Amino acid sequence: MDAVHLRNLTAAYGGQQVLGPISLDIRPGEHIALVGGSGAGKSTLLGLLYDQVRDRAALVPQEQGLVQSLPVFHNVYMGRLAAHSRWYNLLNLVWPRRRELRAIEPLLEKLGIPDKLRTPVATLSGGQKQRTAIARALFQEAEILLADEPVSALDGPLAHVVMGLMTESYATSVVALHDIDLALRYCDRIIGIQNGQIALDDMTRRLTPSDILPLY
Amino acid sequence: MLKQIRRALLLSLALVAPVMADTFVFTAIPDNDETRLRERFQSVADYLSEQLDVDVRYVPVKSYAAAVSAFRNNQVQLAWFGGLSGVQARQLVPGSEAIAQGKEDTQFITYFIAHKSTGLEHSDTLPKAIRGMTFTFGSKGSTSGRLMPEYYIRQAFGEAPKDVFSRVGFSGNHSRTIRLVESGTYQVGAVNYAVWNSELDAGKINTDAVKVIWETPPYQDYQWTIRGDVNERFGEGFKDKVKQALLNMDDPELLKKFPRSAFIPASNSDYDSIRETAKQIGIID
Amino acid sequence: MILSSTSVRITAAFVAIAILCLFAADLAITTINPWQDLAALFLGMVTPDFFSLEHIGTALLRTLAFAFTGVALGSVSGFLLALVFRFRAVRMFCAFIRAIHELFWALIFLQFFGFHPLTGVLAIAIPYAGIFAKVYSEILDETDPTPERVLSRKVDVLSSFLYARIPDALPHLITYTSYRLECGLRSSAVLGFVGLPTLGYYLESSFSQGYYSEVGALLLLFYVLIATLRLWARPRLIPLYVIAAPFFLGDGLPIVWGNVVRFFTQDIVPSPLRDGEGLSGLWHWLSDLAVNQAMPGIWNTLVLTQIALVLTGLVTLMAFPLISRHFGGPTRRGLGHVVLVIARSTPEYVIAYILLQLWGPSMLPAIVALALHNGGIIGHLIGRRSNEITLRPDAPKGIERYGYELLPRLYSPFLAFLFYRWEIIMRETAILGILGIYTLGFFVDSAIQNIQFDKAMVLILVTAFLNIGVDAISRRVRARLKLKVSMTCEGH
Repeated sequence: MDAVHLRNLTAAYGGQQVLGPISLDIRPGEHIALVGGSGAGKSTLLGLLYDQVRDRAALVPQEQGLVQSLPVFHNVYMGRLAAHSRWYNLLNLVWPRRRELRAIEPLLEKLGIPDKLRTPVATLSGGQKQRTAIARALFQEAEILLADEPVSALDGPLAHVVMGLMTESYATSVVALHDIDLALRYCDRIIGIQNGQIALDDMTRRLTPSDILPLY
Repeated sequence: MLKQIRRALLLSLALVAPVMADTFVFTAIPDNDETRLRERFQSVADYLSEQLDVDVRYVPVKSYAAAVSAFRNNQVQLAWFGGLSGVQARQLVPGSEAIAQGKEDTQFITYFIAHKSTGLEHSDTLPKAIRGMTFTFGSKGSTSGRLMPEYYIRQAFGEAPKDVFSRVGFSGNHSRTIRLVESGTYQVGAVNYAVWNSELDAGKINTDAVKVIWETPPYQDYQWTIRGDVNERFGEGFKDKVKQALLNMDDPELLKKFPRSAFIPASNSDYDSIRETAKQIGIID
Repeated sequence: MILSSTSVRITAAFVAIAILCLFAADLAITTINPWQDLAALFLGMVTPDFFSLEHIGTALLRTLAFAFTGVALGSVSGFLLALVFRFRAVRMFCAFIRAIHELFWALIFLQFFGFHPLTGVLAIAIPYAGIFAKVYSEILDETDPTPERVLSRKVDVLSSFLYARIPDALPHLITYTSYRLECGLRSSAVLGFVGLPTLGYYLESSFSQGYYSEVGALLLLFYVLIATLRLWARPRLIPLYVIAAPFFLGDGLPIVWGNVVRFFTQDIVPSPLRDGEGLSGLWHWLSDLAVNQAMPGIWNTLVLTQIALVLTGLVTLMAFPLISRHFGGPTRRGLGHVVLVIARSTPEYVIAYILLQLWGPSMLPAIVALALHNGGIIGHLIGRRSNEITLRPDAPKGIERYGYELLPRLYSPFLAFLFYRWEIIMRETAILGILGIYTLGFFVDSAIQNIQFDKAMVLILVTAFLNIGVDAISRRVRARLKLKVSMTCEGH
């Protein structure tokens, strides 16, 4: 993919500037972690980022963006709606296509929810919902992954599995994380946000937890 | 089943050319006992069918205006109208004709009736004492229950009914007018004399509570009116055949349905005075 | 203060308006001997005669068929309109078509479709489409927008809509539509008053003739139909009913299309223009109509509506405990349900007639009839809502429970329902001409009975704009109170 160049991004809320101006380049092949305290502007930045690269990005928002009354299968399939004609999509909504089922099943298996294929999202636990949203993003196979706290509801080992899967499937990603260890382990560049500004931007190999901690 | 499919198509598309079955359809204004309209007129339909050699169907309607509309829309070709509704219908359908009326219809009258508590007695003129009382007409489109009584009220008082009476209601039909005055809900009312007499004969009126206080002068009322284009549709001379069939109706059972003693010829001009009256009151533009 | 001061202030304002209206209203009681006919009426009600009515089964079938076909058509069209509801023109169009009462739509279609089933179907479908469009679009707007946001921009509109929006809205859409079905049944029955072959046709005929045992039978049948609605109108069965319904609408008479053209090109053209009297003739005609019919009609309609609205509120507050689980056991509540079914399923017209006999001609029977009918409907909705409230185990009982626990919690939805209903109460004032109350509806009916469709159309337009006005005020009041009650039978 091409690099993403962002210049002078700003966001205001209720007339008050809450973010920026921020300039940022995302180079292909980079796994970027956005870190910072709550309310620092990570989600806002991700949202702005998504607006810029929407045509080539898959998004896992904090509120997950799941359709509660549809089964996991359809929610995951929604990642690839654009790849098919509307009639195929319509047919698949009413009558799930075998080809799509086969493609989605292994993904759920890797995420540890293979038995939930036909379960409506509304009945899932928080962690299962989160993995469904991630499955959708993985299934989408876009150029770049944008994820906002994608593993917040997952415990220890599962968080690692999911982070591993994401970095493996997407060559380029920007992930907002509050867990510093995960950030250091799975990302190769870390951007720290504080009071709506970039307070830190460096390669992971040059950072230690103590460099990041002051952001919180 | 085919018919049902057709209907479903028609409903879903609403794009079907007029389907004109060659059935001769007639209706009648709902002047009396609407629950028995169908049984009342089915035997008339059978009689006409036999005399005219075509399928004849009767359709019941819920209001005087609906009868006029059905006639105007050519959904019915013949109708038993009241004086006013007949005038309205013929004005709307050029070429249509009044062909027969009941023998009694040349001398139709309206009874003004009053509750006993008003202290009103039968008199030869409309009692001035009704001013300020509560009053109910029958149906808004009725000749005997609305048009003629309103005409005579205006003549006697020189004012519109709403200015003469403290309250003016429209009961909807003649038997309800009788009931509302009988109970004193309205003090005075105007009612078709034929309906009054038949209810009286049936013992349905408590004459201690309600009585006739005035009779209007006679006027022309009910008549059979036929569309002008029936000959084109049902064959040369069809209109005359219908007229003859009506005039020849002598079975007392059939005549009782109207109730009339016989049918006699009628013409549009017989109803000129009704039209003038309706114009004066503003019911006809 | 538990109740927000705004809702108290607004309540007080409306009560004050109603009290002012009381001075302008004619409320005299003038009867002499009401009991004779009333005794016959009540005797008839308790001795229903199911056998003397020839066509009662057919009437029941037709009532269902018109309701299902009309509501289905209204729902589909309403849904399509909801998709483009963001356009102002569409919103105005919908407000307009729902501002005209079903009975008036039926009277209009009767003039050119005549007794064709389409008349009844469209009379229900058109105003319902306007209502559905509004509520459906509210429901769609309230669904979570995030699933759409995560979709790629390349996803086509249809797929995005079907996957991201519809599934979560669907349960609400279905609930609302099935609520609306009960309203559709009532509308369908009432259309019989103007000649469609539904229950109302026979009800009106028997009623006007004083055959009260037949009236009793027809009403009972209708109560049972409404009370058991949830038992037989299962969501799974609805598609079946909808597919079957058009086949049971009856034959009617064929449509003559020339009549349609005539209606629009001649009948509704003001007579001075038809007769070539030019603009001065038209001006004279219009001002005459305005002074003698529209103005007094508007005045009477407003006075009646405002009093009836407040009284409806009172009836509601007294009626909802009847079916609330917080008061009384299952037997009492069962009886309460019966009372409310009777109140909301008896046409206002019938209630008004009974009260007319009791009190004589004035606005009083009309006000009370409207209040009982509408109070029955809102009481039912508020009662159901109260059942969703869980009280702490040691909550007070009786009047303290009512005043401290329930009323404060239910007052907002109560006001919301009442304001939603405002416009409907206004439309219902139309059919009370028997009482000699000259509302706008009375004049519309008179014009139609006199075959003066040009006048009727002008008056119907006046009625529609009055309704739109009231709807707009109601929306502002609800917005100020931050009231939102969607997905209800009367919620529009």
